[in-house]
Amino acid sequence: MLEVKGLMVFYENALAVNDLSLKVQAGQVVGVIGSNSAGKTTLMNTLSGLILDQRIKELRKGGERITIMGKVIHEGQDISDMPAYERVRLGIVLCRERHPVFPDSTVLENLAIAGHLRSKVEVAQTTELCFDLFPNLTRWRRRKAGFLSGGEQQMLAIGMALVVRPRLLLLDEPLLGLSPAMQEKVVEAIRSVREKTGVTIVIAEQFARPILPMLDFGYVIENGMLTLTGSGRDLMENPEVKSAYFGL
Amino acid sequence: MAAQDTSKQVTRRRERLDRGIKVRSEDIYALNSWREALYLLAPRALPVVALVLLQLLAPEYWQRVLISTTVFALLAISWDLAASSGMVCLGQALFFGVGAYLAGIMNHYLGLPPGLTLPLATLGGGVICTVLLLPVLRLRGIYFAMFTLILPLMIERIIEATKVFGGTEGLSGLTPFSHPLWESFLTMTALWVALFGLRRIMASDYGLVLKGINDNDRAVMSAALNIYRYKAQALFLASATGAFAGAFMTHSYRFVGMPVFALDYSILPIASAAVGGLGTLAGPALGAFILVPLSEMLRGLGGLRIVIYAVLLVVFTVGLPEGVFHYLRRKYTQFERWTEVGK
Repeated sequence: MLEVKGLMVFYENALAVNDLSLKVQAGQVVGVIGSNSAGKTTLMNTLSGLILDQRIKELRKGGERITIMGKVIHEGQDISDMPAYERVRLGIVLCRERHPVFPDSTVLENLAIAGHLRSKVEVAQTTELCFDLFPNLTRWRRRKAGFLSGGEQQMLAIGMALVVRPRLLLLDEPLLGLSPAMQEKVVEAIRSVREKTGVTIVIAEQFARPILPMLDFGYVIENGMLTLTGSGRDLMENPEVKSAYFGL
Repeated sequence: MAAQDTSKQVTRRRERLDRGIKVRSEDIYALNSWREALYLLAPRALPVVALVLLQLLAPEYWQRVLISTTVFALLAISWDLAASSGMVCLGQALFFGVGAYLAGIMNHYLGLPPGLTLPLATLGGGVICTVLLLPVLRLRGIYFAMFTLILPLMIERIIEATKVFGGTEGLSGLTPFSHPLWESFLTMTALWVALFGLRRIMASDYGLVLKGINDNDRAVMSAALNIYRYKAQALFLASATGAFAGAFMTHSYRFVGMPVFALDYSILPIASAAVGGLGTLAGPALGAFILVPLSEMLRGLGGLRIVIYAVLLVVFTVGLPEGVFHYLRRKYTQFERWTEVGK
């Protein structure tokens, strides 16, 4: 479904992603595991196309020059230069890190804004699905998103991505800043999303322990480079992963 | 398990690096050689020397334009200082007008000479404008900006309605500067003092707090700092700078009236900052030195002048959104080259 070939991303002279290649098959849950500054967010921004917009903005304000090399191929089509909004139309939807919601809009309004590409009926259906997946949100339908807890905002952010009815859902650090109990809830919700919608999911995450068991395939990256690949179970058994991510 | 693509492929990318001389001239090492010292000194000294020479050699008309440009540069610096501290003003005319009227009143009613009215109007203008804006320091963004836009318009109408300080006629026949050269060099000195002094302040720890307020005021509050005190102080510095510009123009024109609250004094500093580059103080000053003489040069075109002026403004802001100053500084300190990237 998605293939990345020899991706390299430079922020000025700093190499954030170094010759990275990966494949995502339809229906899979694929994980990109890496510690801080491994290049996860850069990879997700490249897959979603947001980095192209970032590159233009930096260029225009004379900031850091962002150089992108390599290819992103979606169902045989090279989308490396396709802007983010067009990739969303293809069904590639990114849920950015740190629960990006519209703080001054209510939960329902947030979902409605996110689903503007869809008909009202579709949005209503997916909204109900979101409330099924995230029951915590149900009682806060008309509450401003900025007043929700961090975990609830994360759930809402995932819900907003779902309203677009993605074919490929990119989740960038969905567990960031959440308590272990809340992390479990979000992981459970991601699992339900997959079961109920069959959407292909790519998760970039540094908390490997809760994520690895649900992965069909995982990539471990460090300093922008691919260091390990394998199924979720293989990676869980890998001594290097155990040492680096489980502290064992 | 590891699956790195090992096929050899070479591509090129553009690389940006600091110039060697920039690195060599950092800190005390700049004193190692004249070349390094000159590298540091040139961008600071050249504008000063150039402005002095221009003021001495230019025809009288352009000398007046230079004075007016310097005044607008002061207003632009004042705007940038406030904006860098999280207070985007739309009413630089308030600072200018209050300073202008204070100098006019002190000269007209009390007979004080420019040597006294200028410092008193600068300090007094700073205090009055700060006090006027104190109640709205808690407002941010467009709300603060709207208030600063309304205040000068309001004062203008009050003067018109109550006919105080000469009403619509204003106060004329004020004491001029004793010598045209004294006038030119006073405004230039004020510009350099404001520019270098305020840049020094912004580079200090105190300036870091002001920039922090602009970036994330809650984070600054969390560092146990009273942001409203800092904002009030920054506002005083900005308004005193603007008030000096106003007071100076009062004596330069020997007149003060309602036009000192005109929108020109609010808009041009913002346009200068947009063209020159925000957040550096030098950028907005440079912007004023581009826009004001440009406006004068286009004067011969009559009605088309505004159109061409607007087009040039658009070209600057769209073509060089980082600002002329940022662009020049980048070119001065860095170079670019193509480099091969091997995979």
